[in-house]
Amino acid sequence: MPDLGWSDGLCLSVYHHQRPFQDWEKGFTGKLQASLEFPSNSADHQEPPECAYGCWLSLMSLLKWLGLVFLNMPSSPLWWLWSAQIFLVFTHHPQVEFLCLLAGVCPCRVTAMVLKVFFPSCCSSADSGILIGRWISEQNSVVILAVVHFPFIPVQVKQYLGEVQRVTKVSVSVLGSWSNSKQEKEESLSEFLEDLGTIFCHEPWIQISKEGDSKFWSCSILQKHSKNPQEEEIILVYYDQRKVMLSHLHPPLDTAGQRAEDASKLSAIFGTVARSQVLFMTDRYNEGPIKLTHWQSDGVEASIIVELLKQASVPACMLLTFLLSLLSGICRSRVLKFWPLSFLWSKLSTCEQLGHRLQHLQVISSSKKAQNQNQLMRKANIFVSLLIDVVLGILLMSWLYRKNRIGHLADTLVPVADHVAEELQDLLQWLMGAPAGLKMNRALDQVLGRFFLYHIHLWISYIHLLSPFIEMILWYVGLSACLGLTVALCILSDIIALLTFHIYCFYVYGARLYCLKIYGLSSLWRLFRGKKWNVLRQRVDSCSYDLDQLFIGTLLFTILLFLLPTTALYYLVFTLLRLLVVIVQGLIHLLVDLIDSLPLYSLILRLCRSYRLAAGVKFRVLEQQDGKPLRLLMQINPLSYRGVVQTYRLPTYSCYPRDSWASLCKKLFLGELIYPWKHKGDKQN
Amino acid sequence: MTCAQQPVPGRRWQKVLYERQPFPDNYVDQRFLEELRKNVHARQYRYQAVVFQSGAVVQQLCSVCVFVLTWWYMDAGMLSPQGLFGAALVSSLLGYVLFDAVDGGAGRWASGRTRWADLKSTLVFAAFTYGFSPVLKTLTESISTDTIYAMSALMLLGHLIFFDYGANAAIVSSTLSLNMAIFASVCLASRLPRALHAFVMVTFAMQIFALWPMLQKKLKAQTPRCYVGVTVLFALAALAGLATVSSVGAVLFASLLLAISCLCPYCLIRLQLLKDNIHGPWDEAEIKEDLSRFLM
Repeated sequence: MPDLGWSDGLCLSVYHHQRPFQDWEKGFTGKLQASLEFPSNSADHQEPPECAYGCWLSLMSLLKWLGLVFLNMPSSPLWWLWSAQIFLVFTHHPQVEFLCLLAGVCPCRVTAMVLKVFFPSCCSSADSGILIGRWISEQNSVVILAVVHFPFIPVQVKQYLGEVQRVTKVSVSVLGSWSNSKQEKEESLSEFLEDLGTIFCHEPWIQISKEGDSKFWSCSILQKHSKNPQEEEIILVYYDQRKVMLSHLHPPLDTAGQRAEDASKLSAIFGTVARSQVLFMTDRYNEGPIKLTHWQSDGVEASIIVELLKQASVPACMLLTFLLSLLSGICRSRVLKFWPLSFLWSKLSTCEQLGHRLQHLQVISSSKKAQNQNQLMRKANIFVSLLIDVVLGILLMSWLYRKNRIGHLADTLVPVADHVAEELQDLLQWLMGAPAGLKMNRALDQVLGRFFLYHIHLWISYIHLLSPFIEMILWYVGLSACLGLTVALCILSDIIALLTFHIYCFYVYGARLYCLKIYGLSSLWRLFRGKKWNVLRQRVDSCSYDLDQLFIGTLLFTILLFLLPTTALYYLVFTLLRLLVVIVQGLIHLLVDLIDSLPLYSLILRLCRSYRLAAGVKFRVLEQQDGKPLRLLMQINPLSYRGVVQTYRLPTYSCYPRDSWASLCKKLFLGELIYPWKHKGDKQN
Repeated sequence: MTCAQQPVPGRRWQKVLYERQPFPDNYVDQRFLEELRKNVHARQYRYQAVVFQSGAVVQQLCSVCVFVLTWWYMDAGMLSPQGLFGAALVSSLLGYVLFDAVDGGAGRWASGRTRWADLKSTLVFAAFTYGFSPVLKTLTESISTDTIYAMSALMLLGHLIFFDYGANAAIVSSTLSLNMAIFASVCLASRLPRALHAFVMVTFAMQIFALWPMLQKKLKAQTPRCYVGVTVLFALAALAGLATVSSVGAVLFASLLLAISCLCPYCLIRLQLLKDNIHGPWDEAEIKEDLSRFLM
């Protein structure tokens, strides 16, 4: 980075995504987030304004804070307008006037056109020559891409530019001249430079000259054909060519509808630099007829390993695609689609996860080129997440299979299951007594308790029957961890579901019984009042019942009402147990979803190369001298981490229902079954 | 409005809105009060008729009293379930015959109900009650006896409130009243010592709360003299039964019955004289308090 000699000056950030600034003639109307900091060591400003400024700053920050906290005001441009106008009353500082110029507050200063020259900072030490770049007339701005050095033959330059234009589709042209004189200014050179303007006719013709080691460059504009030559104000904006070329402005503007607006937006500048990538890819040692200065890529040689990998990836991808198509063909075969099997597949989260990963692999290995930045990032994110998943899985596997840990696990599993069953038995015994002093219907209580006890007895005998094989099963199942940590976690979730199957059964019995009672009671309550539910009109109508209907209905109503507390207690206890299991499974699935959906590649990119994901730009005012053009340094505002996650989050299959809490509570109250997996019917909602 | 102050002698005032008249908006002439009517819907009651009509309330009060007394006897073991069941059976058969005999089968023919349907209903009652009686027996075991008494009392009171005494009011709902009575009977039956007791109790409740009022209604419509006799007999029986349990209760109940059948009709007729209800061709002014004024 050449020394441009800036000190911390007025700092303005323009957030591209929050408010596009379309009208650059009047300056930036975008949201200006100005942290007003003026250089205290500037030579040319007076003492009193600084004092006033100090007061102003504290007042301003207080107001800003108040506005942010209480009123949420800064979102309105009026706020900034107002604050800037108040500031004008306090002081007449040249840089403040600049702020107003940008904000469009003080129109008397903006009668003259403002020409913005985007100058690559790598060219600031280049030898004299001519400037080539793109003229964006809508914004009245110039994007300089490179400097062509003397000597050159004009015809060759024009030819070269034509070629570049053809490849990049950017209208690159000669825009002006650049002189970098180490010694005194030479009269003859400046005349020569003006003459160049006649050879490469461009309107306006820009002349930038740097004298010695001076930080302040002189700029001038020649407009020969213009009828009324007016004084144009020039703002020099330095930008880092490499960063701007590589950065990707958010949110992406790929849609066709916005193309018309493109020219007047910041993205026009970013797009111009990014599209003229070909210009920078030329080899450093490739001596052509024209000598250029611009940001220099390292050429093809530097990334030979990357190139080799690129070449090798093509057959690898083809092989992978073939294998995947074979695998998905087997999965889709009809044998696996019969009723009990398909039901089983849809309920096992392992199968879902494997299917999800299979889709990911298909996306990665597809031979289609990614059409835009988003698809590219998606592919990269999937690849990195898959890679990390597999690495974690293999780490887990290496930990599991050392020191016979599988055997220990299997040995502890059966006692744990026994212990759970014993606890359940104790719970049932407690429920069959007088739990918490509640008086329940003794007969029903005994019946339900014995029923559940018998169920536990069945379950324990089943576990003991299975116990000799558990170690073997675990050993083989553990191998699947090499497919990824997420698969291993899903298998864990499924094993939990299988081992707590008795709790699930209890829950279903309890819920069904409770549901029956609730619905029976609600309809019999209507009968009790002499009403009935009209299905056609969806309302409660009065109805005259027969005597026997009334009698039986009331008899059942009485019985159900007095038996409800017993059933409700059993339902409550087993629902709590079930919820515990569902919460554990939900946490496991949350972890799986996190690994599946986290855009790791984007996050790493944001961490290491923050300029690659740009959310906007900010301008920093460099040191200032009267009579010289204003100099700004353009810096890229990186996208926030939250924004990165929001933009590049990978979609996940969600196998748990997305009920709201209210609907969940309603379901629990009515005794409808809650499932950890999604219903087929719920998908439309 | 200046011309409207003094009515023009040539024009007569008309009670219409579609013509412009030279009168102020609130002007009325002397014909206005000619259409005033007083006590248009007020009815002149005769004392005997009112006393006769109050018989329905007396009957229902006595029914509740008899039911509670029966339960009391059964709970105390003074009445065997078999005896009650036999008596109930005999009386319902008698009632069934009487029901058809009173109007000579006209009511049955009008409703189109067959005897087979009656038999089916009876069988359903008996089967369900008998089947559920063990359940009923253990239903409220763990619930406190006082709770059961309170609930039954509440339900019987509700039965008396919602019962259809022949008045045309919104509160009347014979379904709700019958259901409340059944609920109370089930509650009380579950306190009895054995399942058979519960069965007999619920059957008896059905007879006294569902079938007996139907027969009463028919008697009242067909043979009013007979109805009065039956009412008096029923009330005397209930009083006698109550006297065996508690003499104070019997006195109180007797005074209640007397108050309802004699004192209340007398009061009604006396108060009817004070009735002053005006009707006319105007809209009644509704005074609406503007509460928002006070809330400010």
